[in-house]
Amino acid sequence: MTQDTEMAGAKGGAKRLGAAPMRSISDQLNRYGIFVFALLLIVFGGLTTPVFLTSKNLQNIFTEAAPLGIVVIGQCLVIMVRGLDLSVASVMATAAVIATEFNATSDAMIPVIFAACILCSALVGLVNGVLVTKRQVSPFLATLATMIVLQGVRFVITKGAPSGSLPDGFRFLGTGDIVGIPTGIVALLILAAGFGYLLHGSTFGRRVYLVGSNPSASKLVGINSDRVTIACYVLCSVCACLGGLFLVGYVGSIDNFVGRGYELLSIVAAVMGGVALTGGRGSILGGLAGALILTVIFNLVLLNGLPSEFQYIIQGVIIIAATAFYMLRSAR
Amino acid sequence: MSLLSMDRQTGRWRLSGNKAPLVVVLLIFGLVIAGFLLSDRFGTLRNFSNLFGQAAFLAIIAIGQTLPILSRGIDLSIGSTIAFAAVLTSGLIDNDPDLMLPVTALVLVLGVAVGLVNATASHFLKVHPLIVTLGMAAVLRGLMLVYSDTPVGGTPEAYATFAMGRIDSGDEGLTIDIWSGSGLSLAGLFCLLLYGLVYLFLRRTRSGRNIYAVGGDPDAARLSGISVYRTLLVTYGFSGLCAALAGIYLVSQQGVGSPELAVKGYELDSITPVVVGGTMLSGGVGGVGGTLLGVVLMAMLGNLLNFLDISTFYQWIVQGVIVIIAVSIYVDPRRRE
Repeated sequence: MTQDTEMAGAKGGAKRLGAAPMRSISDQLNRYGIFVFALLLIVFGGLTTPVFLTSKNLQNIFTEAAPLGIVVIGQCLVIMVRGLDLSVASVMATAAVIATEFNATSDAMIPVIFAACILCSALVGLVNGVLVTKRQVSPFLATLATMIVLQGVRFVITKGAPSGSLPDGFRFLGTGDIVGIPTGIVALLILAAGFGYLLHGSTFGRRVYLVGSNPSASKLVGINSDRVTIACYVLCSVCACLGGLFLVGYVGSIDNFVGRGYELLSIVAAVMGGVALTGGRGSILGGLAGALILTVIFNLVLLNGLPSEFQYIIQGVIIIAATAFYMLRSAR
Repeated sequence: MSLLSMDRQTGRWRLSGNKAPLVVVLLIFGLVIAGFLLSDRFGTLRNFSNLFGQAAFLAIIAIGQTLPILSRGIDLSIGSTIAFAAVLTSGLIDNDPDLMLPVTALVLVLGVAVGLVNATASHFLKVHPLIVTLGMAAVLRGLMLVYSDTPVGGTPEAYATFAMGRIDSGDEGLTIDIWSGSGLSLAGLFCLLLYGLVYLFLRRTRSGRNIYAVGGDPDAARLSGISVYRTLLVTYGFSGLCAALAGIYLVSQQGVGSPELAVKGYELDSITPVVVGGTMLSGGVGGVGGTLLGVVLMAMLGNLLNFLDISTFYQWIVQGVIVIIAVSIYVDPRRRE
């Protein structure tokens, strides 16, 4: 959790290099507030709702949180380089549609299906990234346009009604478990560890933070900021594709809008987790905590017998409140 | 005069956002010519008169979106506001002719209120309008579903006049008829009037000019004594008003308001004509003239593709590609590279 200290942005200067300096309470609150909040929410859930802390329910929460978490990882990357990806939900659904178009019955086809979907989604990310960097299109519009195009492509492929089937192995990806841990969570943890290392342990990660916090400075020190940004968009689309494949395994059936709403949920989770829309700040772990909080809240709404409409209201209030929390704190 | 110019340093083709309307006009001409050549039903007076009425919905939501974008913001709560307004209108009127006017007025006021909340939250909490209006969209959708999760109520036949009415001059002077196939669409005329008024407002009044100033540079605007907050109240209040109006239009057209409207993606549809018409997302550049041209282009394109029996699926692809092309060649005229 502490690896992101050295890359806290350009303002820290030489003081931040080397051993982590002492931080003020308010600074620590910014950094770890989200985790404290997640913990409090879980305690609150356990106290108010008897079934909440049963292993069955926790397993449900984690299985549900896994696809969202995978998408959030990518969204965090893009937001860190001052971007935004509205096309993730469309990529998820398109990946699911492509996967079923194979009509495969044998599990041996799963790697092929994954490879095909990842390739296609990487292409989408490439288009997003090139539009944003080389043509300086606002990320919002670029990814909005690819979202609409993808939607058309998807419907053209399926002629409106998706058919075809998935190998049985997909059900294992979505609902199975490895020694008691849901498969989706295992995948999420592996991805989170991989991307965590990429961001906090590699040169690429340092470049991501620098490009996000100060693009012109990053150019001056010789970083090819366009390439870093494009890489983030490609990785984001690939994450969305993986999230879509896990989600379709979990849901078990396919329609043209698998993952609808995930573009907003993933942005909400990232922003709640402290990934600033202004770029260059935040961590993947924060974003994942955000995803967990959202899933827990939805779960609590259902367990307490509240109408599911309240999910929307709570979601809307939380996104505004969380962003305001960070903005007002950083404005001091 | 050359429209496209080559950027000397980067070697990229660029088009000043100011010149975007010219390009859209050329595209519309090309589309009309293609329409005449490819379809014998496209180039009829009847079709153009139908098109005039059909474009009204897009025209209303697009002009609503133009003002927040001009002030360097965006309003993503439009889709939910439309649905909420539609459900509330048909639910409260519930086929009672006496309630038509009061409920309509109430819904319009609520639409403005949604916009005022958006502006206030965005300004005082210092949260990007994208996030605020996104959150607002979720809240509104939830509230709407609490009110009703199925199509509710209904409207008397007279309520259809707004969306379906046609003005015709016959023997007995001007008549307004709902089911007439000829004549000028009332909603279309209303939109023309709306665009004219907003054009004058933006060009000729101080509040209108302030929107450009705030969109161009909020800090400079504040330092020169412009109230940024009041300007945002105007732009978001207006987009809320237009969204409520669009919801009322749909009820008038379909006779009932359905919660399904919230997931149709109207907020995104409203952005396409605005950006195609040359209004920059970076704020302060563009105007309702470009938006009107964008609306005409998109409406005509959909109309022609329908006549050519090209499915909606391909229309999405075409729409997305047009947005990509437009936004990737338009450049902010203020930017010097």
